[in-house]
Amino acid sequence: MPVHDLGYRTWRGERAAHFLRPLVVARAGIALVFKRRWLRIMLVLAWLPVLFPAFGIFAFEYSSTEPELQDMIVGLVSRPLQQPELGALIRNDPEAARHQVWSTLILMFFRYPQLFAMVALIGLIAPLLVSYDLRTKAYLMYFSRPLSPTQYIIGKSAVIWCLLGMVVTLPALLLYGMGVLLSPDLSVVQQTWDIPLRIFAASFVLLIPTTTLAILFSSLTAESRYATFCWFATWALGFVAYQILTFSPAAMSGDRPRRRRGPVDWEAMGVDLDRWRLLSPYHTLGKVQAWIFGLDTTSASVIPCVVLLVAITVVGFWIVRRRILARLSV
Amino acid sequence: MLDHAWPQQSRAIRDSIGYLPEDDCYIAGLEGIESVTLMAQLSGLPTGEALRRSHEMMDFCGFGEERYREVESYSTGMRQKLKFAQTLVHDPPLLILDEPTTGLDPDQRLSMLRRIRNLATQHGKSVILSTHILPDVRTVCDHVVILVAGTVRVMDTLENLSRPVEPTMHLSIMGDPQTLIDRVSSAGHSVRWNAQTGTLTVGGIAPDQTAQLWSWAAETETAVRRLEPAVNSLEQIFMDVAAGKKTSGSTQEIAAGLHAAGLDPEADRAGP
Repeated sequence: MPVHDLGYRTWRGERAAHFLRPLVVARAGIALVFKRRWLRIMLVLAWLPVLFPAFGIFAFEYSSTEPELQDMIVGLVSRPLQQPELGALIRNDPEAARHQVWSTLILMFFRYPQLFAMVALIGLIAPLLVSYDLRTKAYLMYFSRPLSPTQYIIGKSAVIWCLLGMVVTLPALLLYGMGVLLSPDLSVVQQTWDIPLRIFAASFVLLIPTTTLAILFSSLTAESRYATFCWFATWALGFVAYQILTFSPAAMSGDRPRRRRGPVDWEAMGVDLDRWRLLSPYHTLGKVQAWIFGLDTTSASVIPCVVLLVAITVVGFWIVRRRILARLSV
Repeated sequence: MLDHAWPQQSRAIRDSIGYLPEDDCYIAGLEGIESVTLMAQLSGLPTGEALRRSHEMMDFCGFGEERYREVESYSTGMRQKLKFAQTLVHDPPLLILDEPTTGLDPDQRLSMLRRIRNLATQHGKSVILSTHILPDVRTVCDHVVILVAGTVRVMDTLENLSRPVEPTMHLSIMGDPQTLIDRVSSAGHSVRWNAQTGTLTVGGIAPDQTAQLWSWAAETETAVRRLEPAVNSLEQIFMDVAAGKKTSGSTQEIAAGLHAAGLDPEADRAGP
């Protein structure tokens, strides 16, 4: 017997409160996914797009002293971001334009690079969470402890929330912080105090339904590849279906958007951007996030999109919970 | 249950139970020590204490350096030991062990049974052992419950179940047993000689009456190599109960019924 083998000894100590147990699941899950090298590389790569809005904010804050940077930021918001009015405002009254410029750049960061990063990250990580537990019957280990299915789901979801927070919320907050530090004085905080709150709200909208959907797919099968396929198929098919159904009438009528400065007037061409929006998770999220940042440009109400996201969350959670309870039933 | 109300305090109850599932279950990607630590933390042990306690339990379960390997690379026996360490790590007063010796080689199986017995006798653990390996039951258990199709058919102490209806002794005889057979028969006891095993079975003699047998052996100058009380075989009890020879009754009635049902106390013997 080794000298350090003390045999069996009893243990009497203070135990952690039951409501803290999901944190253990989350911490273990995070430690587990961080063991994967490809994930660490992906996280670094997911941070790279923050350079573009960072440069935009930098250019805006120095536009008053550097005419070249002013031309650059005006060009950026007028053409790629299709907001010529904002470009004019930057030239005429930069102080008044600050809130909208920052919001636009951060929304752009949320909408384009980080949404795609989110889809890729969750698609690769989420199936590992519940599917693997089903395959290896690890749920027997989890639920032999004082852990409820709800706590288990929260713990597993928190793994994704943490990773998404790292690639979406944290860089967006850093962007805001960088903007404050680059601005002439701290009075800009008074103008832009709501932007961090909007960042949190937009992150919440992004994290909760998408995580629930991913966990749902993961819980439906012990084969993680099927869950991965379903996840990517949902986003890709939704995106393609929306594009085809929304823009095919205009394309078939032969109308082409006229080349001019500013946003394309789709409504004038008979295109209803909101009619098929609920088919596409990408566009549904985009509508709600744009509304949160006060930059929603389409006429339809945001409520159907919010209802859809809430429905995905509630129904998804219910199904996952039922799946787990079914596994535990004799 | 365990001084807790069911189902209101089900979490506190689960904190007090160590469950070893029969299924091969593990958390993919974790090392052995991480798996045990995770279970300890899920049972509420603080992080540092969970790690310390996990090492202690892995030592107790016979793990060496392999505790730092990923669980997927473990053999079936090692996974079984790992599950046992996870079962014990939070020091539960009640252990529910479902087929704990599955996949273990003979010496590991013996070690596992010794650990279980040790936990019950030295550390006051209550152990519920679910198994189809009946010799394990005889090694570890004091009480036996036999379930058939989810229904309790037998529930009694192992001692009671093992006891034949009529006290019976088995004698291993060297040489000719005939004079001893005649002497015992003349005293009114039933005697049966098994020439193949060289065993004489004497009915109506309790273990505390063996002096009588020794005196008859001395009287007839018969050499007795071994003498032991007969016990019912669990295998036979299990098969008879499963076959529905006795299907109802209270605990004691069931046990008594087994005797009355014609389980032959002379049919089997405990091991040497």
